[in-house]
Amino acid sequence: MGDSQPNPESPPAATTDGGATVEPHTISIAAWDVPPAIGAGERFTMKVGLKCLEGCELADSEFSIYDHDGALVATGRVPAEIWPGTAGLHVAEVELAAPAVDGLYTWSVNGPSSEEPDEGIPHAGPSLGFGIRVVSRPEYVVRIEAVDAADQTPLTEARVFMHPYRAVTDERGIAEVRVAKGTYKLFVSQTRYVTLGLPIEVDADMTARAELYVEPVVERN
Amino acid sequence: MAAKRDQKDRKRQGGKPVTRRDFVKSGAAAGVGAAVLSTSGTALAQQSPVTAVRWNYEADVVIIGAGCTGLPAAIRARDLGASVIVIDQNFDPGGKMLHSGGQISLGGGDPLQLRDIEGKGDPEGFVTAPRQHSVAELTEDTDFLFRDHTDWSVMDAAAQAPYRYNERDLHRAYADNCFATREFLMKNYVRMGRISGTHGNGGMSRARRAVTFLMEGATTDIKKGTVAKQDAGIAGKSSSHFAPRFMEDGTTVASKGARTNGAALARPLEFSAREKGVRFILNRHMDEIIREQQFSGRVVGIRASYSPRVDPETGRRLESLWQNGNIDDRTETIYIRARKAVIIGAGGHGANAQFRSMFYPAWREPAFVSSGWALLGPRGQDASGIIAGMRVGANLAGMQQNLSYASTFHFPGNLATRDPYTDMLPGHPTFSMRGSTGINLANNSFQHLIVVNQVGKRFFNEMLVTTRQGGAAFPAGPNKGQPKKGLEHVQLDWRNASVANIRATYAEPNSVHAALAMNEGSKSPDFYSGPIWAIFDRAAVERDKWNIEPPFTSPTNGFFFKADTIQELAVKIQKGHEFQRVPIAYLAETVAKWNSYVDKGSDPEFARGADAPMHKIDTPPFYAATLYPVWHDSYGGLRINGKAQVIDMQGEPIPGLYAGGESSGGGNQHGLGRALVHGYIAGTNAAREGTS
Repeated sequence: MGDSQPNPESPPAATTDGGATVEPHTISIAAWDVPPAIGAGERFTMKVGLKCLEGCELADSEFSIYDHDGALVATGRVPAEIWPGTAGLHVAEVELAAPAVDGLYTWSVNGPSSEEPDEGIPHAGPSLGFGIRVVSRPEYVVRIEAVDAADQTPLTEARVFMHPYRAVTDERGIAEVRVAKGTYKLFVSQTRYVTLGLPIEVDADMTARAELYVEPVVERN
Repeated sequence: MAAKRDQKDRKRQGGKPVTRRDFVKSGAAAGVGAAVLSTSGTALAQQSPVTAVRWNYEADVVIIGAGCTGLPAAIRARDLGASVIVIDQNFDPGGKMLHSGGQISLGGGDPLQLRDIEGKGDPEGFVTAPRQHSVAELTEDTDFLFRDHTDWSVMDAAAQAPYRYNERDLHRAYADNCFATREFLMKNYVRMGRISGTHGNGGMSRARRAVTFLMEGATTDIKKGTVAKQDAGIAGKSSSHFAPRFMEDGTTVASKGARTNGAALARPLEFSAREKGVRFILNRHMDEIIREQQFSGRVVGIRASYSPRVDPETGRRLESLWQNGNIDDRTETIYIRARKAVIIGAGGHGANAQFRSMFYPAWREPAFVSSGWALLGPRGQDASGIIAGMRVGANLAGMQQNLSYASTFHFPGNLATRDPYTDMLPGHPTFSMRGSTGINLANNSFQHLIVVNQVGKRFFNEMLVTTRQGGAAFPAGPNKGQPKKGLEHVQLDWRNASVANIRATYAEPNSVHAALAMNEGSKSPDFYSGPIWAIFDRAAVERDKWNIEPPFTSPTNGFFFKADTIQELAVKIQKGHEFQRVPIAYLAETVAKWNSYVDKGSDPEFARGADAPMHKIDTPPFYAATLYPVWHDSYGGLRINGKAQVIDMQGEPIPGLYAGGESSGGGNQHGLGRALVHGYIAGTNAAREGTS
């Protein structure tokens, strides 16, 4: 999930510092790399990042992860290092266990609380929800071969989607998606090509060839 | 008489750049009473009537705008012996034509249709590509073309009638002058390839479009028809002063090595005009058309103010690519007398937010600009030609026709730039004024982002945001709203406009309307919709291999932001974008909601997921890039007749005043064809006027 929302349940109060009112700083959260489909009861990892919008140092700040029932399932601390490609995001990887029953769950990450002010400055207690998709153990393999419709050459790195399952084609244009029995909308998508989408019912291993057409360039005149 | 005077002028000037002093002498010799060159236009402007005006310059024909109407008008008037001064508010001639695709639909049995019918190439041997249409698809006459352009029955896919409201006298003249205009262009160094379909609203029944090209060569030589690779542009790297937009490959319409777009039209016309002695006063904005009395008598000249453009980085004034024939006058205000006529080719109104709001109040939003915003500058497409004409009594025409063409306003799909239409690369002098080329995305790439309004809420299915219908033109067919395709199309057939056909073909894209809708941030009295933002993450950039580095984006121009979290992104947008007037308060909530839709695999708000996969926006860093709509075409302007004379409120021509192109109305044809023909007609008739 993208970012934190200030927690309306526990807004931190402004404090005073030598008589002056000090507005609480906002900590924002990023949470990502949650696998799109997790087997029931399986362990998985995800990433949690923290940043103070006012630029306060958050190294070693603690975060907590709560499940759909509000139970604490993990805690962690972000390191001092800044995540590559960001200007000041402290990121930790955390390992979790998925629920034992299929379904879509909403869990949450909470950032450091306002009781731990940085140099006397309180911080808004942030919270960010994210989804956990728990699926039955995949039983079948759907093998997709993606090619350019015009010259029949393989399409490498084409994205194959059968929500919530997904895969990417290799240098031969082939991707294998392991899915549970069911009905899906199969998408095969590649940059600058028209996405191929068709319904597909899976009750056995399957093979399909996806011929993609180059997207017409919009005339700009 | 005019020819003699012109010979005299040319002799005096000796083919060199002309000075103000030359024109003072010229004016005095002609008995205009311009013995003293004015230095203060303001004082003179307060002196009326016309006899009090001290003219700084004079010529037989004075043309406002060095674009698609003005340049052919200037050349044609010169060919007929008139002396010509062209002014332009910009620092370089070309107008919108210079950044266009160079696509010219004419027809009626024009020389290129005949060339293709005969299976011939061009005299220079550049056009060797095979003919693209059958003889039947190329065969027509002027009556047939006229009917096509005034056909009441045609309805397009947006249920609009593009031809029904066209001015009939104007389009009769258009049809009758297409042959001559095509021939005229070819005689003035314009090379055109095979006929290929027909440009938007260029008629439903026959193929009429040809694209202008130059052959890539060692040097740029207009006479030889070549353009140097550096001038034509290097893909993904550079444009040039010669061609503000990268010139495309023209193999299919001409031959291998051909490079196409509007530079292959604008530069040859400019070259020819300069060669023939047309004089240019650039950096000069027309502020007033001067008539003997406000609503009566002849038009006798213009008032124009100095409008230089300065590079923000160097502080230097921008200069035109070519200088010969330029008059470099930096006086604040000048008056130019027209002995025969004034021709308005000042372009349209797409950049004038107040003017365009006459057609669509939501377009009063000043954030959004006309195509070519950086190229043309802040005074380009400002409706000044139309407004000046109205001030001397002109009538208007085609005022509803802005709503009858799909390209009038649309989302070009180019992120992170204020002018998403003109995908200019570094190399053109105005690049620094836009700062970024933009991230040009194909439609399929919109699966990787969401689009939000100024308060951070989504408003449309992102996969459909850039969808637009083409104009109702050959080969037509159901995707253009017509029941029959190609040669099967029947002119003036009621079935074209039948309810059943409209129901079957109606497919108006509505994303722009949704984008311009009021939202929680819209406030009285204008209720601006505010800027539009595309929101995406690092995963999108890597997955779809977008180049988000300069020159495609700029870290400083306020149209692209990067942040570690979505909340930080919202803060940066509000602080850094000129038109973000309110907090983008819902952005984090919208992204969270979107990510929950991705988890569910469906989008209950806008039905994403039906035609492309959905992707979470959760991987830092996060990005915001503007997705601006653009007002491209201008329809609705001065009413002109078949001679391109401006018509007054009584239905009579205003003596000595002509107009064409996007300054005129009543011609709902997209692109260059109508403006070129108008210019040709206007130049012809202006040169033949008596001398005042």
